[in-house]
Amino acid sequence: MNFDLGPDQRDAAAGARDFFRGSASPAAARAALEGGPVEPGHEALAAIGFLGITVPESAGGAGAGLLDLAVVAEQGGAVLAGPSLVTAARAAVLLGEHPDLAARLADGSARFAVVDGPVTGSAPSIDAAGATLFLGLDGGALVVGEGEATAGPPMDATRGLASVRLTSRRVLAEDAGELWARARQVAAVVLAAEDLGAADRAVQLAVGYAQQREAFGRRIGSYQAVKHLLVDAWVGVDQLRSLVWWAAWAADAAAAELPLAASAAKASAAEVLERAAETCIQVHGGIGFTWEHDAHLYWRRAKVDRLLLGDAAEHLDAVARLAVAGALG
Amino acid sequence: MDFDDTPDEAAYRAAVRTLLEEHAAELLHVAPGGEAVDARTHEAGLRRTQRVLAEAGLVGITWPREHGGQGGTLVQQAIVTQELARAGVPTLINHIGLGMCGPTVIAHGSDDQKRRYLARLLRADDVWCQLFSEPASGSDLAALRTTAVRDGDEWVVNGQKVWTTLAHVADLGILLTRTDPDRPKHAGLTMFVVDMHAPGVTVRPLRQMVGSAGFNEVFFDEVRIPDEERLGEPGEGWRVAITTLMNERVTIGGAGSDLGVPVERLAALARERLPHLDAERQVLARQAVGRAVVASLAARYTGYRRFTVLSQGGLPGPEASAGKLAGTAAAKLVADAGVRLLGDDAVYAATADGDATWQRSQGYLPGLAIAGGTDQVLRNILGERVLGLPPEPRSDKDAPFAGGRR
Repeated sequence: MNFDLGPDQRDAAAGARDFFRGSASPAAARAALEGGPVEPGHEALAAIGFLGITVPESAGGAGAGLLDLAVVAEQGGAVLAGPSLVTAARAAVLLGEHPDLAARLADGSARFAVVDGPVTGSAPSIDAAGATLFLGLDGGALVVGEGEATAGPPMDATRGLASVRLTSRRVLAEDAGELWARARQVAAVVLAAEDLGAADRAVQLAVGYAQQREAFGRRIGSYQAVKHLLVDAWVGVDQLRSLVWWAAWAADAAAAELPLAASAAKASAAEVLERAAETCIQVHGGIGFTWEHDAHLYWRRAKVDRLLLGDAAEHLDAVARLAVAGALG
Repeated sequence: MDFDDTPDEAAYRAAVRTLLEEHAAELLHVAPGGEAVDARTHEAGLRRTQRVLAEAGLVGITWPREHGGQGGTLVQQAIVTQELARAGVPTLINHIGLGMCGPTVIAHGSDDQKRRYLARLLRADDVWCQLFSEPASGSDLAALRTTAVRDGDEWVVNGQKVWTTLAHVADLGILLTRTDPDRPKHAGLTMFVVDMHAPGVTVRPLRQMVGSAGFNEVFFDEVRIPDEERLGEPGEGWRVAITTLMNERVTIGGAGSDLGVPVERLAALARERLPHLDAERQVLARQAVGRAVVASLAARYTGYRRFTVLSQGGLPGPEASAGKLAGTAAAKLVADAGVRLLGDDAVYAATADGDATWQRSQGYLPGLAIAGGTDQVLRNILGERVLGLPPEPRSDKDAPFAGGRR
């Protein structure tokens, strides 16, 4: 058994960490709430090749696996980067038979978004604000087209959420229900990977503060009431990492396990990030719920992400149905 | 990344499987998911099973060869443990001796003790127990009060131990005592090997909340132990005990096994019971089942990551404590979802057809959250050793033990 990242994946993660730390930050996420740009932004992600990680080499991508993409996405999540690699991974699956469009995804010459719900008025969809080409499911057919995006006031501006009405549409594939479902599972895995990075970072922030801050004559991390909160949040992160790796590996190497693994990872991610972010605020005390502190930016990510691509209730139901149907073996 | 054995591991597993098949007729077996075999009623069969396995080279895998072990790796031990479970062979009767007492004798015993004890331990000629916890010292083990007082070439022991697994069938035990109450609590302790058949040793079963008695309390009344049965120097007992407890962590090597009822059985129960529920109830039950499955899979795959560390030659670190913490939480979700699926039978101790699997698991889990490190102690370990948080101040750490206790 070797349930660990390989040296190439560790290198990729280290490189991605450096890139994201240099090009995105919670401070940028805060500025985006007041109209600033989302960082590192679409062009930078295209330039470094992150939009084409899972696009075949023949279409200008890296031809790598979802696990390779997930370890990069985790690093993006840690600094609340945008746009999300969820869109890149999901569109790459949907465009598998369309190398011309996949090439435009990888090189960034088109800004794709994948819209959930009716194409005449979609649900709020990731990175739809600012996208130039939309992929949707229309009566069972996969379609691509241009559209009008309408956004509400952002809870987390880095997600680029907007509802979309397609103004043109071209059918890419009839009977695309299965392809659509698989792409959504892949998207759920990548969202869980970004949440893993965000949750890990939120716990680190809180642990760092608890090691320094003194109250009643000693450091607050020595009090079990604080220590145990932090440990529970950390254990959640450690458990989530296992589910994310398993789900990403399944997408690459064991397709039959993907539906169960993806839903397990997404359900877990929603709750783990929420707990990590809420713990981060609680441990910081008064400073933790100020606008200037980074804690609320992780909290915002948690409150939004938990509802995207299916909430925990939807994925727990899916897990139960799959388990009852024999998916555990 | 893959979930397959390496070629070496696969070859080893195949060899183990072959040996278990060859000896199948001589071994005790349990039905899959069945109740644990009680040492009270199956002592002879359990001793025989371990002897057969020892003679086949399947016991003491990680022990050094010079002490009768196989000189193998932690991964090989984990593979043997997995294959024994797969074959339905119950936990070895001397698991406490193999995992904790024996390694302590290897580390701190005299050559004479090693020669007299280790080979017999491997064959279950002697069954061992570990006499640490007391009524007034559970999590705070170093606060123990059982005394050993020197009398010439012997020590005289008085006191009480509790939560002693296997004491009722044990021939020998490792016993942690207080030999110097005037020193701080960690500094006044001494470890011995004690003959459980010696005059003055009384073992009583301790009945647990579920009704059965898996543990014992042990009373020592003027029990005399020869000085050559001391393990380590007088006053060094805490250091010796740490050896034992570190080995306890290493024995948590059974990666990927559920702590309670396997989650596959919950899925099977749900398959059978869900169709009989109202539609709204089905929705709620699927939420509970889904939550239990996610928690179980997360704990299982995290166990695979720990196993991988062993596989690459590493040692289990303090993060292994997270495995028990998360595994216990998952087991509670599984048991609760299982009991709730029983409908009206959930308020009884067994179903109408006499199956107590789910109720028994429910009643066993409060104890699991305490035994072998309470949830709270595990959180302290993780907080201090993994996250690097400062410890709580301990007011009694440096004070003479007797000062605060008498």
